[in-house]
Amino acid sequence: MSSLTIYIITAIVSIITALLLVQLTRLSAQAKIKADEKAIRDAYLTSHGIDEDLNQTIYKEISELTDSEEFCRGISNKVSGILSREIDKRVTQTALELRKKYESIIEEKSQDKEIAWKKYNKVLAEKKETEAVIHSIAEGLVVVDAAGNVVMMNEAAEKLLGVSKIDKIGRPMLEGIKEEQLVSLAKNSPGEDTKEIELVSQENETKKILRASSAVIEDEDGQTVGMVSVLSDITKQRELDRMKSSFVASVSHELRTPLIGIQKSLSLILSKTAGDVSENQEQLLSIADRNLQRLTLLINDLLDLSKLEAGRMEIKREPYSVEKVIAESIEGLATWVKSKSLNLEKEIESGLPEVNIDPNRITQVLTNLIGNAVKFTPQNGTITVKASSGRGDGHVQVTVQDTGIGIEKENLPKIFGKFYQVGERTPTDISGTGIGLSIAKEIVELHGGKIWVESEKGFGTRFIFTLPLR
Amino acid sequence: MDNSTINVLVVDDETDFRQLMSFWLKSKGYSVTLAQDGETAIQLLKNEKLDVVFLDLNMPAMDGVHTLKKIREFNKDIPVIVISAYVDRLKLTEVKAYDISGVFYKGEEFEKGLALLESALRMHKRLKK
Repeated sequence: MSSLTIYIITAIVSIITALLLVQLTRLSAQAKIKADEKAIRDAYLTSHGIDEDLNQTIYKEISELTDSEEFCRGISNKVSGILSREIDKRVTQTALELRKKYESIIEEKSQDKEIAWKKYNKVLAEKKETEAVIHSIAEGLVVVDAAGNVVMMNEAAEKLLGVSKIDKIGRPMLEGIKEEQLVSLAKNSPGEDTKEIELVSQENETKKILRASSAVIEDEDGQTVGMVSVLSDITKQRELDRMKSSFVASVSHELRTPLIGIQKSLSLILSKTAGDVSENQEQLLSIADRNLQRLTLLINDLLDLSKLEAGRMEIKREPYSVEKVIAESIEGLATWVKSKSLNLEKEIESGLPEVNIDPNRITQVLTNLIGNAVKFTPQNGTITVKASSGRGDGHVQVTVQDTGIGIEKENLPKIFGKFYQVGERTPTDISGTGIGLSIAKEIVELHGGKIWVESEKGFGTRFIFTLPLR
Repeated sequence: MDNSTINVLVVDDETDFRQLMSFWLKSKGYSVTLAQDGETAIQLLKNEKLDVVFLDLNMPAMDGVHTLKKIREFNKDIPVIVISAYVDRLKLTEVKAYDISGVFYKGEEFEKGLALLESALRMHKRLKK
């Protein structure tokens, strides 16, 4: 036996041994392989004609080694069979690996999907909850985007605005609403966060007053992405306010009539028109007269306040000398100033031009400021009224300065507020309604001027107001 | 000067004020005639010799503006001083169209009313000349 034959036989034996081992693993592997995979594999092998090609190649190779064709054919058949099965095994294994990978990906994906689904449900529930909250609040709520289109609107808002949500979502706030006041709602400027809107209801033509409190919605970069507005119906509140103001006005008017009657009677007796009056009688009647004056001032304040609240305070301007208006105000208070032994000084810049003012109203302001100075300045103190052309900024500046008790720093900002009284308890002879300064402020502002106060506890007070020259 | 020859008509729906005015004017020597409403005032002006009128702006039924308008239809000369309890800009603007000699606010001192009365009479006298 030639060495070549031995070599070939050894090779075949080893191949067969390998084949047996391969067969064993293949059996166990095959159990796991599914029919479809097998079909794929078979189709793959057939379509590529691996068996045939392989057999040919091996045969060609071996035929170069031996002359025996039969032997050669047998070996090549065996080898190609082994190789085919080997390839078969590899393919199966690869397919198995791929399948495992694929399955794990699927599993991963489905897990992700489940998480996403849970999240979605949670968000949905939260959204429903938020919506329920938004829809159940009594105030109207409207959310618009940066372009002014409605994003969300609750039932109360639909009712208040007389529109339907279905028509409004995704559309401009104002579309279909005639009331031009609504423009103001959509174009709310950032400075004003609350404004009032008047609407006429489409159903019964009644007027509705809404208060819109708006806030700008910004994203993380501070860009405006929209606006949320809360609407509340304040029609009834307004009506009550109006009724209150008109009640106060009418009561004040009604009160004036009897007061005038008493005042006139007293003045006739005191002027001795109705005959002689004894010293004691005169003293008592004077007390009655003084208190009557206080009562009258109080009622005038109330009347002004009601006008102020109703927005009916008017000023009637005419060119008037500031010096004259100061002189007239001082004249009215002269007796009081004298009775408290106070010095009242005037420092009027010469050549002050006339200003366009309502002399009655400015007299009222000055009477209030000087009156306060008289009230809060102890005996022998000094009150100075100054007027100058200010800092040349087109204003006349009037100052009322006293050497009185002064105002504590923390109370200064409150002083122009309605019903504000300095200190908790003031002696009755220096009490007032606490609305004089708020009226004074209103009057000065109606004239286009400004009023402010400078004071230090114990060192007197200085009230300054400006009036525009034109 | 003898004021008693001057007859002052006071028109006011408010009895107390009417009487106070009467008391005061009489204390100054004037003759006084009283009317509680516009209609009465018009009748008096048509039938009696009156020299000057104090006319309340706010009266029920016929107010001061309406009353003065009617007075001016038959008497363009008589001086009329308007009386008012408060500044009623609207009515004051209206009434000023009918030639008035001044406004006397009820809260003001009688002296001011007297000054108005005297200046109205002086003006009237000058115009007559």
